[in-house]
Amino acid sequence: MKSPVQNAQLQTPQQRQQLQREWFQQLVVGAEVDAEYDPDWLLPLREKALQSISTLPLLNRKQEAWRYNRVDNIFQNSFDPLFDNDLEQKICIEDIGLPAIDSYRLVFINGRIDLSLSELSELPAGVILTGTAEALRTIPDQLMSSFDHLHQPGEQLFTALNTALFNDGVYLHVNQSVTLDRPVEIIYLNNNLTRSEQHVGSMIQTRNIIDLESGASATVIEHFISNNKHEKYFHNNFTDINLADDSRLRHYRIQDESRLAYHLSNVQITQHRRSRYFSTCLAFGGLWSKSAVRVEFQAQQAECDLLGLYTVGDQQLTDFHLDVQHRVPSCRSSEQFKGILYGRGRAVFDGRILVDRQAQHSDAALTNDNLLLVRDAEVNTKPQLEIYADDVKCSHGTTVGRLDPEQLFYMRSRGIAEHSARKMLCQGFATDIIESFELQQLRDYASEKIAHTLNSVESEMEHKNGH
Amino acid sequence: MLRINNLHVKIEGKQILNGLDLTVNAGEVHAIMGPNGSGKSTLSHVLAGREGYEVTDGQVLFNAENLLQLSPEQRAHKGVFLAMQYPVELPGVNNMTFIRESINAIRRARGQDEFNTLEFLQLIREKAAQLQLDEKLLKRNVNAGFSGGEKKRNEVLQMAMLEPQLAILDETDSGLDIDALRVIAQGVNSLRSAERSIILVTHYQRLLEYIQPDFVHVLVNGRIVRSGDKQLALTLEQKGYNWIIEEDAA
Repeated sequence: MKSPVQNAQLQTPQQRQQLQREWFQQLVVGAEVDAEYDPDWLLPLREKALQSISTLPLLNRKQEAWRYNRVDNIFQNSFDPLFDNDLEQKICIEDIGLPAIDSYRLVFINGRIDLSLSELSELPAGVILTGTAEALRTIPDQLMSSFDHLHQPGEQLFTALNTALFNDGVYLHVNQSVTLDRPVEIIYLNNNLTRSEQHVGSMIQTRNIIDLESGASATVIEHFISNNKHEKYFHNNFTDINLADDSRLRHYRIQDESRLAYHLSNVQITQHRRSRYFSTCLAFGGLWSKSAVRVEFQAQQAECDLLGLYTVGDQQLTDFHLDVQHRVPSCRSSEQFKGILYGRGRAVFDGRILVDRQAQHSDAALTNDNLLLVRDAEVNTKPQLEIYADDVKCSHGTTVGRLDPEQLFYMRSRGIAEHSARKMLCQGFATDIIESFELQQLRDYASEKIAHTLNSVESEMEHKNGH
Repeated sequence: MLRINNLHVKIEGKQILNGLDLTVNAGEVHAIMGPNGSGKSTLSHVLAGREGYEVTDGQVLFNAENLLQLSPEQRAHKGVFLAMQYPVELPGVNNMTFIRESINAIRRARGQDEFNTLEFLQLIREKAAQLQLDEKLLKRNVNAGFSGGEKKRNEVLQMAMLEPQLAILDETDSGLDIDALRVIAQGVNSLRSAERSIILVTHYQRLLEYIQPDFVHVLVNGRIVRSGDKQLALTLEQKGYNWIIEEDAA
């Protein structure tokens, strides 16, 4: 393993490129894939992905997907693919501070499934919920079509890396007209990863497949968490979702990882006629996180609602790239993302809506609102509407602002202390995203997380002001 | 209770209040009238502690304490309340939660027990009914999408809940129809007491038909140029402000 080199700014472009290529290649060399159960069709895909890691274009800031992302900073860190899961201490899933939800549960420790912590009994007939590795061994043909996504623009290298090296993930399949009676909870817990070698973190790659047959309906909750504040790792997740006619998926993703964690998610959703995809993403933690969500409407009258909330503190970078593709007529999409920046960090929001020429009667709306609580925070927000049809309803709006002094004065004049007023306004700002959770437990959990963050911000500010 | 001596206030370098004197005793209702730009709202805001005003001279004593050195929330804790001319909307902040937070913050500051949910609900329902304020508005976000009249009622509701010692009503009558005005006036009148003082800041005499003041003051160019009883308000209604401005200049 190479130790971190000097600061990225000090290197020449050639040095940075070389470093990046080596970074990817080292991961490949160091990895062990347990491919012995891989189906025949997967082996050549793995091989092809592996080969492409030395030939695919490198990531750089000139690419739209990485423009504001300081991508070179990633490659200053070494990560090691980890398969050794000998945990010394026993983990108790009830003790890690997640809301108690009556659910079917799949737990991944360091990217590998842990059945002893999972809860898969009493699954209704017509539902398969298991690890991707297990599904590849038992029902390989059902997974074949989900491996057709090496083309995601901007993310090819990470996608190729995932295809070449993933060992496990979530496989959920719901048969025609079946409604899952309880939510599916997926917990990715990273634990005990900090190596003796201080600068090396672990590389975790998960591959998820969610398939809803026509008329099926399910709720999936994903928790990305770390067991302590100093876990260093890179989680490279790829999720493929296929929603057949009239199916409905509620998808909640809650990212609250350690302040040394790197997180990359690629979520690819394919929607068929009258299908409905509803998602809320929360991004609280992580040193560096990027979520790319791509929705492709393949038949009419499909709908998606993408909501999100991110909080960004010192040194954090949080990046959302949404890409909604209206390729057929009469579909509806809405995107509403909000950010609270409370430290010297950076948020990137990129919302692309494409409406093809034949996609008449499309309805697309996008908003991104950002609240800056400190002077040094930075937001790069960019809506991109590409509309080639003429009979459509499309709107977008983005804002970056501070707390309104008029509102603060109003609250203070009613006896509410300034720090409480600030907190109430921030929580008010986040309300409509939090309220989008159907489960009360998740609403409470999210409110508490935000309250906790805001409390620490306020006490820090008071400390700075010498109170 | 309130004593304002020789108050001089600037906003962005411009002199707005120019040696204002006013004394308000417990239980009195004072109306402050004056043409646009005379400094009425500035006076209200300075008393409530809004930022952006520079006091260049004079003092304001509230129960013998220097009011100007207190933060807006401390003034509220001491019993000062300002019903705003333009109440702001607070997106995502529930009205009921807001009022509860407010009343309990004040009670805490005074060393009193907080209201529990039940006590609070009973109280706010009772007060809302008196003001004919639709209970649905309590469940909405503060002032969000309220009509002008609903916003003003919500201000008076807060005043009724917080039971201030000194209530300043800044143009509370503006934008109200006659029925709303009557309801709000009733609400204010029901709060009149020997311990509570009220300052009504208004452009028109109309409000004073419903809330009868003990004193009427005319504010011109940042000073009180004439004081009298409610008869003065009627004279102003008939003759306008110009005669006073001219007499003052002479």
